[in-house]
Amino acid sequence: MKPKHSLIRTFSTLGLMGFVLLSCEPLVTEFRDIEDAILYESSSKTNIQNSPDSLLVMTWNVRFGAARIPWFGDSCGDRVIMTSGEVVVHLENIADYINNIQPDILLLQEVDVESKRSGYVDQVRWFLDNTYFNYGAYASMWQAQFIPSDGLGRVDAGNAILSRWEITEAERIQLPLRTDQDGLTQYFYLRRNILKTRIDVPNHDFYAVCTHTTAFATDDTKQKHIEMFYETISSIDTNAVFIAGGDLNSVPPESTTDYCMSDICSGESFHQAGDDPEHKEGSYFYNFVGEPNLIQPFYTYFNSAIGVVDASLESNFTHSPWNTDEESENYTDSDYWDRKLDYLFSNQPLKEGKTHQNQHQLSDHAPVSAVLGLP
Amino acid sequence: MVGIVSFLCTTAAASENLPKGNFETGLFQPLRYGLSEKIEIGTHPVLMFFIPNLAVQKHHPNWAGLALASRHSLFVPTPLLKMVTKKGVGGFISPEFDVPLMIALKNEIQLKRTLNDSWILSGTAGLTLAYCSKKLDKRTTIDLPVVFPRLGVFYNGYGINFRLDFSGTLLPRLDLLTDLNVLLLPGMEEGFAFEHKSLLTWALSNRTDIQIGYKLIFGEYPFGVQWHLLPLLDILWRW
Repeated sequence: MKPKHSLIRTFSTLGLMGFVLLSCEPLVTEFRDIEDAILYESSSKTNIQNSPDSLLVMTWNVRFGAARIPWFGDSCGDRVIMTSGEVVVHLENIADYINNIQPDILLLQEVDVESKRSGYVDQVRWFLDNTYFNYGAYASMWQAQFIPSDGLGRVDAGNAILSRWEITEAERIQLPLRTDQDGLTQYFYLRRNILKTRIDVPNHDFYAVCTHTTAFATDDTKQKHIEMFYETISSIDTNAVFIAGGDLNSVPPESTTDYCMSDICSGESFHQAGDDPEHKEGSYFYNFVGEPNLIQPFYTYFNSAIGVVDASLESNFTHSPWNTDEESENYTDSDYWDRKLDYLFSNQPLKEGKTHQNQHQLSDHAPVSAVLGLP
Repeated sequence: MVGIVSFLCTTAAASENLPKGNFETGLFQPLRYGLSEKIEIGTHPVLMFFIPNLAVQKHHPNWAGLALASRHSLFVPTPLLKMVTKKGVGGFISPEFDVPLMIALKNEIQLKRTLNDSWILSGTAGLTLAYCSKKLDKRTTIDLPVVFPRLGVFYNGYGINFRLDFSGTLLPRLDLLTDLNVLLLPGMEEGFAFEHKSLLTWALSNRTDIQIGYKLIFGEYPFGVQWHLLPLLDILWRW
């Protein structure tokens, strides 16, 4: 029998060594270039069509269930943290609309799954439990135990795809980080991605690809994101069918590129000598040569829900920041939106393309849908 | 933030009071002063400007053959929390919320048994009472290990803690402290935290120690449960 001192020393040393080997979750998650996305499945399935000849597809940036609240980061507001009750009410309104329109495939952006700002509601799970969708996939673009800024705290937000049919493969493809930020800001900032899924649509090799490209970069990051999105969908087997889209944060060719003065918040100044920044981040679409025409290749080589000519019409605008004249009696639906940032493309014909401008309180983005004809 | 976490980790009853007239302080640990052979007071002098704090530890006559001590501490996190309630970097709490006056009074009783020449086992039970001048919005919680259960008392009104310490000498000049700590916020949904700490103390000289160790934490938070493993590091000076 070893002396007591020796036993105590031995166990203490082993204990220390054991705990040193424990791995820790990082403060901010830095993703690999390509990795599996997270798959979800509804606890109660709804019936699905065996052999559809067309699909209703939709894309929607749901603004993490914030509806039209004056959130600090994307509108001239002071709100940061919602209550879970508040978020659920907003999600219920979104779900009601989805359940009314009944898309077969839904591409979602700005979905929170574990964020303090949205009451830690897992919104992918919530949508599966409160709509007819059976399967989901999620790719985080911002996952941190704690963001020490503006009271944000814990955050996990990203892109999601919901489907009636089983999602058999789901891949998260990392997009380049912004290079116009200092190292510390870049570390805690978003890591945008492309979510590429393969869906078991009967009798078809079917892909759904969703992305949300950079909104606020002032360098050429957006070009890299759009080009990578284009390459991703171009590399899909030509015999397969794909629907691709999302919030590309780019205006259609030949569109207005400067929204600085319409988006300006109280106390801000732009376009004046000495202003730094000269343009408001996220409101200016000519940061580099060629930015206004970034989307052109998609119109050239793919089918789109809204044609390139119609894309510049007010009736197809999909976004505006907080509008202080909400629900004005003098407004039409189009008055709530002032630019188009959301798109749907496919290698198959898209018909009945529609921008759902009538729901202007559910998010700062309007959904876009189309009917995808299956070969 | 490292300093504040270390301060929160080490605001616990020390096994031994300092001799009368002696001081001890660390980079992160509080300044302790032996007021008498039985009474010690402590405060963290730097953090006093951000988290006003004061602690008194008193040794009582033995009870049932066990050494008995009590520790009473007061801290006011309001100034620090107001500093981190802001827009931009450093904002731990959203500026849409107000931080009221917050005062916490923690009372602990410790029973200690000397096992042999080198090792001591002690058990501590504590009750923390918290006062807020206004009801705190639950969205102001800082959902981080160490911080959440300790500030949780201000949302719950009170908290309870139990701790088991095992300390002693491993080698000449090398001491070990290891503890198991349970923090409870009865009635609160996220009311349980378990912490385990191990600290090695190496005596560089008669007056200076270096401490290195870890803290393993399991806690309930508004987002669910999570484990954390944090490093601990400090340098202590005595005079």
